[in-house]
Amino acid sequence: MMRVFVVLISVALFGVAKLPAEHALAKAHRDLHFRDVDFNLGLREQIGQLGFVAALSGFRSLVADGLFIQAHVAWERTEWGRVLLLFRQVTTLQPRVILFWDMAAWHMAWNASTAAINNPAQPRLALRIKAQREYFALGKDFLERGIRNNPERPQLYEALGRLYRDKYIDHEHAAEFFGKGAALPEAPSYLKRFAAYELSQCPGHEREAYDRLHALYASGENERLPTLLRRLKEMEIKLDIPLDQRIPDRLP
Amino acid sequence: MSEPAVAVIGVTKIFPVPFQRRSVVALRDLTLRVSPGQIYGLLGPNGSGKSTTLKIILGLVPPTKGRAEIFGKDSNLVASREAVGFLPESPYFHKYLTGEETLRFHGKLGGLRGAALKNRVEELLALVGLTNARKRRLGGYSKGMLQRIGLAQALVHEPALVVLDEPTAGVDPAGAGEIRDLILHLKERGITVLLSSHLLGQVQEICDRVGILANGVLVREGALDDLLGIENQTELVLENASPELLGEIETLASKRGARVLDRRRPRTSLERVFLEATESPREQTRRDTP
Amino acid sequence: MIRPRHRAFSLGRIVAITGNTLTELTRLKVFYVLLLFALVLIGTSIFMAQLTFQQEFQVVKDIALGAMSIFTSLLAVVTTARLLPQEIEDRTIYTILAKPVPRVEYLLGKLLGVLLLLALSIIAMGALFFIVLYLREQTVLYETTRQMSTAPPEQMADALRAVRASAFSAGLLPGIAIIYVKACLLASLTLFVSTFATTTVFTTVVMVFVYFIGHLQGIAREYWLQNNSAGWITKSLLALVALLFPDLQLFNRTDDIIAGNAIPLALFLKTATLGLFYTGFYLLLAWSLFFRKEL
Ligand SMILES: Nc1ncnc2c1ncn2[C@@H]1O[C@H](COP(=O)(O)OP(=O)(O)O)[C@@H](O)[C@H]1O
Ligand SMILES: [Mg+2]
Repeated sequence: MMRVFVVLISVALFGVAKLPAEHALAKAHRDLHFRDVDFNLGLREQIGQLGFVAALSGFRSLVADGLFIQAHVAWERTEWGRVLLLFRQVTTLQPRVILFWDMAAWHMAWNASTAAINNPAQPRLALRIKAQREYFALGKDFLERGIRNNPERPQLYEALGRLYRDKYIDHEHAAEFFGKGAALPEAPSYLKRFAAYELSQCPGHEREAYDRLHALYASGENERLPTLLRRLKEMEIKLDIPLDQRIPDRLP
Repeated sequence: MSEPAVAVIGVTKIFPVPFQRRSVVALRDLTLRVSPGQIYGLLGPNGSGKSTTLKIILGLVPPTKGRAEIFGKDSNLVASREAVGFLPESPYFHKYLTGEETLRFHGKLGGLRGAALKNRVEELLALVGLTNARKRRLGGYSKGMLQRIGLAQALVHEPALVVLDEPTAGVDPAGAGEIRDLILHLKERGITVLLSSHLLGQVQEICDRVGILANGVLVREGALDDLLGIENQTELVLENASPELLGEIETLASKRGARVLDRRRPRTSLERVFLEATESPREQTRRDTP
Repeated sequence: MIRPRHRAFSLGRIVAITGNTLTELTRLKVFYVLLLFALVLIGTSIFMAQLTFQQEFQVVKDIALGAMSIFTSLLAVVTTARLLPQEIEDRTIYTILAKPVPRVEYLLGKLLGVLLLLALSIIAMGALFFIVLYLREQTVLYETTRQMSTAPPEQMADALRAVRASAFSAGLLPGIAIIYVKACLLASLTLFVSTFATTTVFTTVVMVFVYFIGHLQGIAREYWLQNNSAGWITKSLLALVALLFPDLQLFNRTDDIIAGNAIPLALFLKTATLGLFYTGFYLLLAWSLFFRKEL
């Protein structure tokens, strides 16, 4: 009995000693964006008791993958409501995985929206368009939340830029997000170009677009792609750039 | 040299019985001394506390009261185990090890290394007659072979004392005889032996001294001759004596004030009959064969 | 006979016990777990054929590292739980401790045997995982090169870089090392529990509870440290969990590493050190109970 007591006391004393270390380590991990999931009651209801317990006990990624695969199946069956619900759970469980946000937004804004506008069960065009718009918004929402969770990664800015460009046909916002993505250290080289292209389509921003395109042009042979040359020429004409300052005419 | 090989001083051992208020008194104020060079037999029925005594001597079980010593070192000290080898009651070894690996493992625990270890293992395998079975896993050993490898294991670090718990239990008479021979061989080499048994017959021929335990109390103790010999009687065994001669002896005896109490033919022991009957066919195969 | 003085601590004896334990464990066919791991890995790879390469790598990594974590934890608990009861039941412990072997050396040797087994298992699983990942990466790279043979070289390079980035990352190695440290902690804790447990089943059940509570310890601790409004019953309950249990969640870093967040060396070392401290502390506790245990 005595020994049990002594052992318990030493465990507790060790507990007191290790507590600050554990606390500090947990904080260090959190500060590094090793963010742990906010396990709210809503999630428990959504993924069930068993999945919730599993997610809490270190099997979060496996639970998320399982839900992701279910979402994949739901997509193949074009059950859009289910796809949405499952992706919400997946992204809640694994907010640091870019891929899940990207996939979620793509399913909503591209696949589900297309299905909605072509929905044979809805004869009224206005309602079909409304549904399509709602799916765009859902895609946008996923990307915005994804960016909030991963502000340092360029992929979701790019996806949001594409969404504005291709779905909302909103060049100004597209340019903004391509630009934000391009400014990040991990950004692929084409994001800067994309931002400039979009800007060149925004009325009132011709000068800025021209400067950016020209800077890209001047940065080397690698950047002088056909689209860049074409856009640059358009801007030269719009801005009435003196002939001697214009780029050489290499277009066929 | 006066220091005893084993000293058990006023030991009481009480085992609590879990979840009950009751407890078992396994040993009650036991004092025991084994002199160096002796074979000491601790005898007693099952449950009388023999194994408990031996475990206390080896520091495997802490006594409730009192203490034990090996060559003057307290049994609680690891160093006391330097000088002792132990063969537990019906020992089991790792079944997946061969005889040789078992000895090597225990040799390393005893502090042997390299060539010394290798030589010692060879020597012991030869001593206990398991050289041919060295490469076989213990899973395939017979009871007698296990007992012998157990004895070898107890001897591996050349202890001055070996403690054997029921060394002959469960072994056939031939095997028991071999183990007895081994024990006598150890005595010749000056090793002290403390053994326990509940079968008195099996050990009475080899023990110098015995202690008898009953319910945790040492009820008798002494040299074997003293315990068994009847002070005022002598046995004569004659060969080819005629009835006339026997009559003369009887008359002579009564003339001198003595009396012949009994006249009978000495009987060989059943064990010896068994051994003689089974010896010849088994001789070539018995070693190393389960 | 001249005999060297008894050494109070001998590495040789520990190594002998460690080797013996490792031999025993390897003959228990625990390596079937590795076979199971291979099947899981191959199974997922077959299913993955329908996904894009990024999805595929993500899921393969999640499942492989998740399986490594479960299997090593399970192996740690199950093998350690039966270590002492088995030796006591087989009475092999008597011949070992009747030799001049201090009990702390015996425990240390046993534990090291398990830790060695865990290391071998995790190395084998890791190697298998990397081979599968490498083969898939090469396939995807080859396919990408073929599909994009007409694209400009810059785009091709971008695509190939994307493939490589989503397959391998050096950060996986510290992630795997932390899985191992967690298994060490669990093994040591199991050894401690088994010194006072009466059966193997009891030890295992206790460890299952410890496993789950250990993962919630972080939440309980932070709640206890921050929240001042909770009632005293709740607070003492939280404090009890925070003080008596290890924070196992600290050792689950692979999710974030797979997501592409490298873990800084200093943080990795601190986490590993904490784990080793736990391992040592539980061994010490095990020894304190085993020291005068009746055998
Ligand atoms: N670990 C134990 N717990 C409880 N009782 C025990 C324990 N070991 C032995 N005993 C009891 O102590 C007594 C002596 O046992 P033991 O020394 O094994 O006898 P022997 O070896 O002479 O047959 C027995 O009554 C036995 O039941
Ligand atoms: Mg006994």
